[in-house]
Amino acid sequence: MKLLDMTRKYGSATYEYPFAPYTVADGFRGKPEYDYDKCIGCTACGVACPSNAINVELNEAKDKLVWKFDCGRCIYCGRCDEVCPTNAVMLGSDFETAVKFNKEDLIETGELDVEYCQKCGKVFTTKRLIAYCVENFKKVGWSERVIEEKTKYITTCPECKKAESVELVSKHYSKGVKK
Amino acid sequence: MSKTYVVPTEISELNKVEDKLNLIKDIKRSFSVYRIDCGSCNGCEIEIFASITPMWDPERFGFKLVASPRHADILLCTGPVTRQMYYPLLRAYEAAPDPKIVVGYGACGSTGGIFHDCYSTWGGVDKVIPVDVWIPGCPPHPASTIYGLATALGILDQKLKKTEHKDGTDEAPKIEDSIFDNTLFEREVMERARVMMGYLHGRELYKAYIDALKPIEDIYNPVKTKETLLEAIKKEDDPRFKECMMILHNEVYLKHLKRFKNINKCHPTICFTKEEMELAYD
Repeated sequence: MKLLDMTRKYGSATYEYPFAPYTVADGFRGKPEYDYDKCIGCTACGVACPSNAINVELNEAKDKLVWKFDCGRCIYCGRCDEVCPTNAVMLGSDFETAVKFNKEDLIETGELDVEYCQKCGKVFTTKRLIAYCVENFKKVGWSERVIEEKTKYITTCPECKKAESVELVSKHYSKGVKK
Repeated sequence: MSKTYVVPTEISELNKVEDKLNLIKDIKRSFSVYRIDCGSCNGCEIEIFASITPMWDPERFGFKLVASPRHADILLCTGPVTRQMYYPLLRAYEAAPDPKIVVGYGACGSTGGIFHDCYSTWGGVDKVIPVDVWIPGCPPHPASTIYGLATALGILDQKLKKTEHKDGTDEAPKIEDSIFDNTLFEREVMERARVMMGYLHGRELYKAYIDALKPIEDIYNPVKTKETLLEAIKKEDDPRFKECMMILHNEVYLKHLKRFKNINKCHPTICFTKEEMELAYD
C-alpha cells in the first residue's frame, strides 16, 4: 500500500511521446535546418563537416554549385552552424528523422548559380557570394573607388590572382638587378 | 571490401515488402527486437537501453528486447559493420525467422557516419544486408528511437522527404545596418562574443548586446551609452551574460569609439569598472 501511495504522490514518469508531442530540452542539437534563401555557397560548412554529411560540389554540367546534405551521416556536432557566416545552416530541434524503405528521403539539396572568373572564364564561386561581398563592402563605409577595386579583386579566381602577383613581383625584381 | 553477401533466394523470397507489411499487421502489439552490435562505439547501445527505461516505456506498444535472433521480428543493427563483425551479423540475419525487419540504427548503422570512408568497415548495414528502416542520429535520442520504431510499425507517419531547392535569386541575403555605419564593429562584437561564450551562447550574447545599443540616439556619447547599457544589463537574468556584455563594451565599443573621439578608456563614467563587474554576480 505504501508503494501505491508513493506512485499516487509522484504520478507517472513516462512521457506520452508517440501519442503526444515531445518538446526537447534547451540547446538540443537536432537536424540541421537549411535556409536556401540565406545560403551564399561559401562551402565553409562542407569544409568543417567532420563526417562529410555536407558536400558542396559542382554538378556534372559545371553550371551549378550543389549543396548536398545527407541526414543519415550527420553526427550533430554543430560545426556547420558554427562556421556559417549567414546562419543559413542552424541546428534545429527536429529529432523525428527516421525513414523507411527509401534512403533518398534523408537527402536535402540546394542549387546555386556559379560565377565565372573575369580573366580566364573558369568557374570559381557563386554569384550570391560575390553579391554578398559587395553588399558587405558598402556597409563598411569605403569610397566608391575602393569598392570598385575590391570588386575587381574578388571576381578574379585565385589562380589568376596568383599569376598576376607573380608578374608584378618579377617586374620589380628585374628592375633592381644589374645587367 | 572484396566479398559481398548475396541474400540466399530462400530468404529473399520470404522477405518481400508485402510479407513485411503483413508481419507488421500480425504482430501489432508484440514485437521482439534483437540488438546486433556491428562494431558500434556503444553510444547507440546506451541510448537503446535509455529508451527501454520506464521514462519512455516502449512496452506500451509491445517493444521488447530479446536475447536471441531466433526470437526476433526486428533486428536493430548498430555500428558501421567492421570486418570482424561481418560474419556475426550475417549469422544473426540468417538465424532470424522470416520475414524480418532490419533497422539501421544511428549514423553509423544507416550510412557509416563518421566511419563512412574508414578502412576495415563496410560503411553502413545496408551495404551488407537489405535494410528497411533507417534511424539517423549520433546517437539517436530515445524519442528518435521510439519514433523510428513507431514509423516502422505504421503508428506514425514518416516526416522527412527528399527536398531539392532550385532556382533561387542571385541576390545576397539581407545584411543589417550597422550602429557605427561600419559593419566591422558588429563583426568584432560577434568575434569577441564567440571567443567568450562559444558559438551558441555567443550568438545570444551578440543579439542581447546589439539590441541594447540599438535604441540609443547618439552612439558617440559614451556616458549616455553606458547608462542605457547598464539598464539593459540589470534586466538580464544570467550573470554570465551581464559580465560578458560589460567586457564587450569595454573592449570593443570603446576601442571603436576611440577612432572618432579622443577619450580616456579607463574613466569610470565611460567604462565598466571591476567593482561593477563583480556586482553582476550578486
